[in-house]
Amino acid sequence: MSTIAKLGVRVRSAADALPLDTVTVAVERLRVASELLLAARQHAERPEAVPGVARALEHAEQAGHALRVARERLAAYLTAIGLGSSASPPTEPQPADRAPRVTPSEPPRPRSAAPTEEPDWWTARIAVLTDGPAPRRRADATGDTERLLRQVVAAVRGGDRDELRAALTGAPTPIGLRLTAVTREPLRRLAAEWLGHPPTAADLPRLARATEKRVRALLPGLPRPVLDTLLAWTCHVASEARPAHQPAHPADTPVAGAVLTGVLLRLLGRDPDALAEFMAPSSSSAGGDDTSSSVGKDASSSGGNASSSAGEEPASASAGGEHA
Amino acid sequence: MASVAEVKSAIDAAITQINESQAALRAAAEKLAEAQQSLAAALDGSGHEAVGAAQASLFQAATDLEECLAATVAAVEQAQSYAAML
Repeated sequence: MSTIAKLGVRVRSAADALPLDTVTVAVERLRVASELLLAARQHAERPEAVPGVARALEHAEQAGHALRVARERLAAYLTAIGLGSSASPPTEPQPADRAPRVTPSEPPRPRSAAPTEEPDWWTARIAVLTDGPAPRRRADATGDTERLLRQVVAAVRGGDRDELRAALTGAPTPIGLRLTAVTREPLRRLAAEWLGHPPTAADLPRLARATEKRVRALLPGLPRPVLDTLLAWTCHVASEARPAHQPAHPADTPVAGAVLTGVLLRLLGRDPDALAEFMAPSSSSAGGDDTSSSVGKDASSSGGNASSSAGEEPASASAGGEHA
Repeated sequence: MASVAEVKSAIDAAITQINESQAALRAAAEKLAEAQQSLAAALDGSGHEAVGAAQASLFQAATDLEECLAATVAAVEQAQSYAAML
C-alpha cells in the first residue's frame, strides 16, 4: 500500500470514528428532558425555580453540526488528494438498531436562532409503540394516572389498539410517566393471582408465554428488552443491565407496564373495574414489594385456589379467565 | 391540576434523561479527543485548507461538548434542589 493510500485509510478511519451517533443520543435525551421540565414548569408553584436545558441542547446540537462539517471537510480533503471515490462518509448518523428511538434529530439551529417548538415526544413515541398515527394532543389535556390506567386496561380488554393509542396520547406526559409507579403493585398482585402464588424466577417463562403475544399485538413497536425487563421485575428476577448506549425510551416502561397490567387482568377474566382491588395497598405490605399477604385475599375473593395450580392452568382460570 | 408527586415525577425523569445525556457527552468527548489525536498525527504538516477547516470544526465540537456538559451539571443541581424542596 502506498504512503498516500495509508494516509487515506487513517483519515477515513478517524472520520468514521467521529462520535456523531453518541452526540445524537445526547441531543435526544436532552430534548426529552426539556419536554419533561417544560411540563413540570407548567404545573409548578414556582416555575422560575425549574431549570431548563435549552443552552445545553444548543451546545449539543452545535457539537453535532461541527462534527458533520469536520467529516465533510475531511472527505473534501481526500477527494482533493485523489482518494475521493469512497471518501464521502455519511454525514448523518445511522440508527444502531431497528428499535425505535426518540424523535429523529433535526438540523442544528444557528446559535442566534429563537428556540423552536419542542417536539411532542410522548405522542410521537406512543405512535411508534402502537404502530399508528400520532394525533395532535390537546394543549389542555388533563387527567390522572389511575384514570388513564383504567382506560388502557379497557382498551386492552377490547384488544383495541386505536383506543389504546387514543387513551395514551390524550394524557399529559407527566400523567403517562407515572404509569410506571402506579402499575408496580397491580403487576405483582395480578401475576400472583394468575399463578396462584407470589411470582418467582421459576414462573418467568410461563408468565412470558402467557403475556408476550398479547402485549406485542397491542404494542408492536415495543423493544423486546423492555417487556423482558418488566416481566423479570414482576417475577423478582434481576434483569440484565442494558448497554449504556441503548437506554429505554422513557415512555416505553410506563406504557408497557399499563398494557401488561391490562393483559393480566384479561387473563384472569376480570373486568377493568376490578383493577381497584389490585391497586389498594395491603395492610401488611404497604409501600413494599411483598405481595404474599394480598395474594390470599385476592385469590379467595375471586374464588380462585391460591395453592392448587402448578402447571399451565392459571390458578383462577375457573373464575372466568383465559387459559395460558 | 397536577399534584406535587406528578411534578416531582417529571423532574426525576428529566434528571434521569440529563444523566444519560451526560454519559453520552463524556463518551463523545473521549472519542473526539482520540480522533483529533489520530488526525493530528496523520496530517501533521499539511497546509491544506480542508484539513485546517476540519481541525477547526473538531476543536469547536470539543468546546461545545464541554460547555454542554457544564450546562447539564448546573441544570441537574438546580433540578435536584427544587425537587428536594417539594
